[in-house]
Amino acid sequence: MILAASMNPDLLSALDDAIIRLKRGELHALEEVMAPYQQRLYRFLLRLTQEQAAAEDLFQQTWIRVMEKIGRYDARHPFTPWLFSVARNLAIDYLRQRRTGSLDVVDDSGTAPVDRLAGGELDPLERLLEFERGVVLASAIAKLPVIHREVLTLRFEEDMKLEQIAEVAGIPLSTVKSRLLRAMESLRGRLQRQ
Amino acid sequence: MNAHESIRAKLALAAAGALQENDLREVERHARECESCLRELELWGEYTRELRQLPQPVFPSNLLARTQARVLHDHESALHRRRNGLMLCSLAAYSWVVAFSAWIVARTLTGGTLEVFGTNLVDVGPWILTSWVLTWITAGVAAVTLGRRNPARRVL
Repeated sequence: MILAASMNPDLLSALDDAIIRLKRGELHALEEVMAPYQQRLYRFLLRLTQEQAAAEDLFQQTWIRVMEKIGRYDARHPFTPWLFSVARNLAIDYLRQRRTGSLDVVDDSGTAPVDRLAGGELDPLERLLEFERGVVLASAIAKLPVIHREVLTLRFEEDMKLEQIAEVAGIPLSTVKSRLLRAMESLRGRLQRQ
Repeated sequence: MNAHESIRAKLALAAAGALQENDLREVERHARECESCLRELELWGEYTRELRQLPQPVFPSNLLARTQARVLHDHESALHRRRNGLMLCSLAAYSWVVAFSAWIVARTLTGGTLEVFGTNLVDVGPWILTSWVLTWITAGVAAVTLGRRNPARRVL
């Protein structure tokens, strides 16, 4: 488990053990499996959907799906990409139902914080406070197409290798590279225009 | 595309740690000699550092508990459905076995003739029809009884 290797080895073996017990049908092992992934999985779903309620619902659906499919999970392969691919597929289904357009179009729905910052309604001090780099960057990411947000969060927040991103997204490695490059260039372009 | 342009196209991926070892070495070698590419690489480096330090969402405090409750409920429902399905299949098989055995016994006891309203009930057709009607009446009564004892739970 490449990703998990960066975690505490004791935690890793405990997690592996919990996954095996879950695979055997021991329902109480679920809490042990969920705990290390709760923040990461929720963040990933929130980055994709941009909606707290949807992210919460998809988080729950992901674990229900995990329980349904855990019997077919091959424990010789890393659990993290498998889990994220389950979550990703549910999120993509949700986004497809919500929107009629393609998933690679720019998401203009809702009001991103950056729009509120750009509007002249705030006083200078509030503007200064809100213009913190991270907020601006997160807002710019929120305006990117889903497929670009996906590769950015998997690469930089989940610290996944390109091969693992390819596994999660179900796309070839070369596509991951080109998406990552386009996502970074698009993000930089947006930030420079602000 | 000359060597400079080719390297420049790889700078973002180099900063993202998405290049193969030999490509990365090539980029680094070029950046040592080309000031504009070095500046560009450093700029991409800043972007990737910031991307790793984005503001983190707060995990909803009760989401874990709600998820566990939902998973448990879903798991129990699935088990219940499976049990019901198994029971239905078993009952169907049982009813066919009983109908067939009873037919054999009835034919033996009656010598192959049991006239009711001008119909020989121990013939294959009438016997199947009678068994089928009796089975559905029994299944209907059982379904109503079970439904009253085990009303569907509604979860918010």
